[in-house]
Amino acid sequence: MNRRPIRGPRAARVRARGPLQRSGPLKYLAHFGVWGYVVLLLVPVYYLVISAFKSNTAILNSPFNPFSGLVLSNFGTAMSDAGLGPALVNQAYLTVGASVLTLVLAVPAAFALARSNGRTAALIERTFALGFLVPGFAALVPTVLLAIWMGLFHTREFMIIFLPAGALPLSVILLTQAMRTVPKELEESAVLDGAGSLRLMRSVYFPLVMPTLIVVAVLNFLGFWNEYFFSLVIIGPDKALRTAQVALPTLSMAQSAHYGVLAAGIVVTLIPVYVLYTFFANKMEGAVLAGALKG
Amino acid sequence: MTTTDDRAAMPAAARSEAAAAPRRPRRSRRLRDLAPLGFTLPALGWFLLFTVGPLVSLFYYSLTDWRGLIAPRTYVGFRNFGRLFARQEFHQAVTNTLVQLVVTLPVVIAGAFMIAYYLSLRPRGHRFVRAVLFTPVLLSAPALAMVFVGVFAPSGLVNGLLQNLGLGSAAKPWLAQSSSASIAILVVIVWSSMSVSAAMLASRLNSVSAEIFEAAEIDGCGHWRRMWLIAWPVCREFVGVVTMLQFLWTLFSSAAVVLLLTRGGPGYSTVNLSYLVYDYSFNQSKVGYGQAVAVMLFVVGVAGLLGIRRLFRQNY
Repeated sequence: MNRRPIRGPRAARVRARGPLQRSGPLKYLAHFGVWGYVVLLLVPVYYLVISAFKSNTAILNSPFNPFSGLVLSNFGTAMSDAGLGPALVNQAYLTVGASVLTLVLAVPAAFALARSNGRTAALIERTFALGFLVPGFAALVPTVLLAIWMGLFHTREFMIIFLPAGALPLSVILLTQAMRTVPKELEESAVLDGAGSLRLMRSVYFPLVMPTLIVVAVLNFLGFWNEYFFSLVIIGPDKALRTAQVALPTLSMAQSAHYGVLAAGIVVTLIPVYVLYTFFANKMEGAVLAGALKG
Repeated sequence: MTTTDDRAAMPAAARSEAAAAPRRPRRSRRLRDLAPLGFTLPALGWFLLFTVGPLVSLFYYSLTDWRGLIAPRTYVGFRNFGRLFARQEFHQAVTNTLVQLVVTLPVVIAGAFMIAYYLSLRPRGHRFVRAVLFTPVLLSAPALAMVFVGVFAPSGLVNGLLQNLGLGSAAKPWLAQSSSASIAILVVIVWSSMSVSAAMLASRLNSVSAEIFEAAEIDGCGHWRRMWLIAWPVCREFVGVVTMLQFLWTLFSSAAVVLLLTRGGPGYSTVNLSYLVYDYSFNQSKVGYGQAVAVMLFVVGVAGLLGIRRLFRQNY
C-alpha cells in the first residue's frame, strides 16, 4: 500500500573505484574517444558563435579564426530579415502562457494522486505514465483539425492551451512523486488546525515541493520554447504571429550565402535558453534526467 | 472496490466493527475516497481532448480520401494503405527509416554507454564533459538544423576543414548529393542524441554500488569486461528506457531535421516516414495518404517500444 519511493543517499555515496588505473592501452583509447567526442560536440557550436560575429568574406577565407573580420551587423540583419523581434515576443508569450497553464492543471492533479491510495488513483497515474510515451507528432493533422473546429486555427492561443497536454503526463508524475514525500504528520497537524484541501495544497504541499516544481517548470519552459512542428502548421507563417523557431529557418532561405546572419539568428533564439541554463544548470540537468527516468 | 480492499487489510476486530456498521456510511466513505480525485479531472480532460482525441481520430482519417485540410473527406476503407505500397517515395521512406534506426540505435546506445562508464570513473575533467553533454539538448530542432546547414554548406565548416588540411579535392556540396545527404542526416541524429543518452546512463551508473566493481577488480576483471559483463547487465532495464527514448526520437523527431536540412531531397533520397507525414499532408495535398503513414508510424512506434522492453527485460 505504501508506494512512497525509496530515496537512498545516492548523492552521498562515495566512489571508491580508481580512475582508469591499470588498464593498459585501453586507457588511452578511452580518453581519446571521449575527448574526441567532446571536440565533435563543441566544434559546430564554436563555428556557430564565431560566425555570428564575422563578415561573410571572413567566414569564407578564415573560417576558424575568431578574430578576423569582426562585425555586429549580422544581428541587425537577422532581426530585420526574419522579423525576429515580434517572433521572439510571440515565442515568449506562448512559452510563458503554456508553462503557467501546465502547472495550474498539474499541481491539483498531483496533489490528489499523492494523497489517494485507491485503485482509481493508481489507474489515473498509470494513464499519465503511459501518456508520457505517446508520440504526439503522429497526430499532427488531427490536431490542426481540432484547432479549426475550435475556431482557433492560425492563433497563438491554441498553442497555449494545446501544448500543456503533451507536457502534463511527465509533470503530473514528477509532482506526484515529490508530494508523496511530504510527511503525513505535517498534513495531520494542518488538518487539526482546520485547514481545508485548498489551504492544505497552498500552504503545506506547495512550499515543500518547490524544488520539483521548479524542475518541472524549467523542463516545460525548455520544451515549449523549442517547439517547432505544431507552431509551424497551426500558427503558420504570418509574420505578426509566427514564433521565433518558425521564423529562424526563413533566414537560411533568404540568406543562403550569408551564414553569419543565420548564425546570429540562431544565437539570438538561444539566449533565453542559455540564461535559464546558467541560472538553473543543476536543476535543468536534473529535469532532463528525470524526464527519462520515469519512462 | 476500495472499501473491500481496505477491509481485507483491516485487523479482524476492526472488520467485524465495520460489518456491523449500517450500509450508508460505507457508500459515502467510498465517495469520500474518490472525491479528492476530482482535482485530477481538468488534467485528465486536457489529456483526453488534446492527446487521445486527435490520436483516435487519426485512425479514421487514414481510411478517407482527403486532398486538402479544408477539402471534404470520403470514406474509402484501406485503399490509402494499398496505394501507398505502390509508391516509390514510400518505399524509399521505409528503407531510410529502417537504415536510420538500424545505424543510429546501436551506435548511440553503445557509444553513450561507454561514455557513461568512463564518466562514472570520475576521471580528470569529468564535470566539464558532463556539462558539454548537455549542449545539444538546449538546441531546438530549427537551431540544430541551421547549425548543420552551416556545417555542411558548400563553403561551410566541413569543407573549410578539408581545405585547411590540404584535402580540398574531397570537399563537396554535402547536402546536394544523395549519398552524402543521407549520411549527413545520420550524423545529425547521432550528434544531437548520443550525448543526452550518455548523461542519463552516467547518472544511472552513479547509483550502482561500488562494491560489485571492487569485487570484480579483485577477481582480475579489467575495465572492458567490468563495463560489459557487470555494469551493462546491472543497468539493463534502464538501458532499455534510454533505447526507447532514442527510438522514439529517431522515428518521430527526425522529421524536422529532414525538413530543414534537405526537404527529403535530392529527389526522394532522404525522405523518411515521419517527414512523409508532413510532406503528404501539407505540401502534396494527399492528406489521406499522410494519415495512413502516421498510423503506420504509430503502430511501428508502439511495436518497437514493446519489443525494446522485451529485449531489455531484467534477466537475473
